[in-house]
Amino acid sequence: MTDPTRSTGANSAQKPNAAKNYFKHHSSVAKSTFFSQLNRPISSFFTCAVIGIALVLPCLLILILISIQSISQNWDGSAQITLVLHKHISALDAGVLANDMGKKQSINSSRFIDKDIALDTFRAKFEFADAIDFLDENPLPHIIVVTPNEAIKSVEHIEQLKNSLLTNPEIESALLDVMWVQRLNSITKMLERAIWVIASMLALSVILVLGNTIRLAIESRKEEIIVVKLVGGTDHFVRRPFLYMGTFFGLGGSILGWILIQIVIYLLNQPIQELATSYQSDFNLSGMNFESTLLLLLLGVSLGWFGSWIAVKKHLSDIEPD
Amino acid sequence: MIKFEHVCKRYEDGHEALNDVSFSLSRGEMAFLTGHSGAGKSTLLKLIMLMERSSKGNIFVGDQNLSKIPKRQIPYFRRHVGVVFQNHRLLYDRSVFDNVALPLEISGMNHRDVGRRVRAALDKVGLLSKEKLTPIQISGGEQQRVGIARAVVNKPPLLLADEPTGNLDPTLSAEIMNLFSEFSQVGVTVLIASHDLALIHHMHYRVIQLNKGQIMASPFTESAGDA
Repeated sequence: MTDPTRSTGANSAQKPNAAKNYFKHHSSVAKSTFFSQLNRPISSFFTCAVIGIALVLPCLLILILISIQSISQNWDGSAQITLVLHKHISALDAGVLANDMGKKQSINSSRFIDKDIALDTFRAKFEFADAIDFLDENPLPHIIVVTPNEAIKSVEHIEQLKNSLLTNPEIESALLDVMWVQRLNSITKMLERAIWVIASMLALSVILVLGNTIRLAIESRKEEIIVVKLVGGTDHFVRRPFLYMGTFFGLGGSILGWILIQIVIYLLNQPIQELATSYQSDFNLSGMNFESTLLLLLLGVSLGWFGSWIAVKKHLSDIEPD
Repeated sequence: MIKFEHVCKRYEDGHEALNDVSFSLSRGEMAFLTGHSGAGKSTLLKLIMLMERSSKGNIFVGDQNLSKIPKRQIPYFRRHVGVVFQNHRLLYDRSVFDNVALPLEISGMNHRDVGRRVRAALDKVGLLSKEKLTPIQISGGEQQRVGIARAVVNKPPLLLADEPTGNLDPTLSAEIMNLFSEFSQVGVTVLIASHDLALIHHMHYRVIQLNKGQIMASPFTESAGDA
């Protein structure tokens, strides 16, 4: 024997098949790990359930967030900027100004409201309008109502447009009725951050739960690990079944989580729709589409793999033949 | 095949298990390693298997200096050393066949060759008919033979055994020892740690006697090499 760490006779003959054997080994480890988990259905189910439940909460919050964000994105046209003109501006000038504004690219349409017409409307609509007759002059200013271009959707951009219009010397002040959008936006921002915090804590708990499960599995197969190491098993070989175990738990957990999410959405959607209808809204809790399902599965699998990897890293090196 | 050069092993607690041990075994040679418990037999075997590292001196297996083998290469080295344990170290949750197949599976051999090799090894130890049983269903002597089959299934050039007959009656022990001597006749270097002096004397092989971590002159040493 020249060099015992290099492959000798028997092994070198199989070199071309090495990759094939490697994948065969992987699939047989995966299979045997999968079936050994199926053989302990109750404990496997509980582990998956813990992971599934931990995945449900952040996923639901994200779905709610996406639904809320879709409201503030689809508030189409309700943003109008009301420009109040200085008192000394004549109706003629105001009309010209309104016309000019309507030609701007950032503005979809503009409407001039003459103060006399406004007063008439006011008088016609309100009972106590008689009081107006006691005034010496029309207290109302001329007004131009501007609808921004549809391309301008975000509150920030509309705010910018409002400020640029304010630089016009004829304009005294501008009113923007999008407070609710702003509030909604800050709520969703807060919610977004809260989701990240909750999601990372739950991800951590998934990793810890899996770490513990894998640790117990390692403990119970200690003798096997020692024997494998004694007859020349590499760390990778020893690690493999446990990594598969964690990955399968993660997959099972995310599938269970997906089912739970469907149930929760089903249970919540009717009351949400009733509530939304009472606010004249067509708000709807969005469900799991194909991509988010895929993402959830991917998340479960990677959490499972990562959790078991940490546990294996930590505990396998402790087990050495003595 | 094996060469020890002034090897010392001192444990962290200060206990000196081996002190200036030098010997060599040539290819196909069979030798017994004897001595009282605590004399350093197990330590010596552990050093060869790289379960422990020597504190001083050099150990060569083949042409390789063991102190130069990095930790991640140890598994590959161990695939070329067959080991038989006193307590068999079999896995009781799988069949005799699967126990013997383990080293081949680890080295990534393809399925068909595994079956062929495992059956050849089981045939050699006379257990071909029991491949489907689990180790619990067979006797102690048979379990030890399964352990031997597992140790040789990879066709290692070096076979180590730590008290392989420790729990067996004299007849079974002699059978096991004969099996080892058959392996040495086909070129496998065999080193057996044992304190079964009667059996060792009967076998007329070289004896390396350890006492308090040192090699002693042995009454049986003279009869070495005639096998």
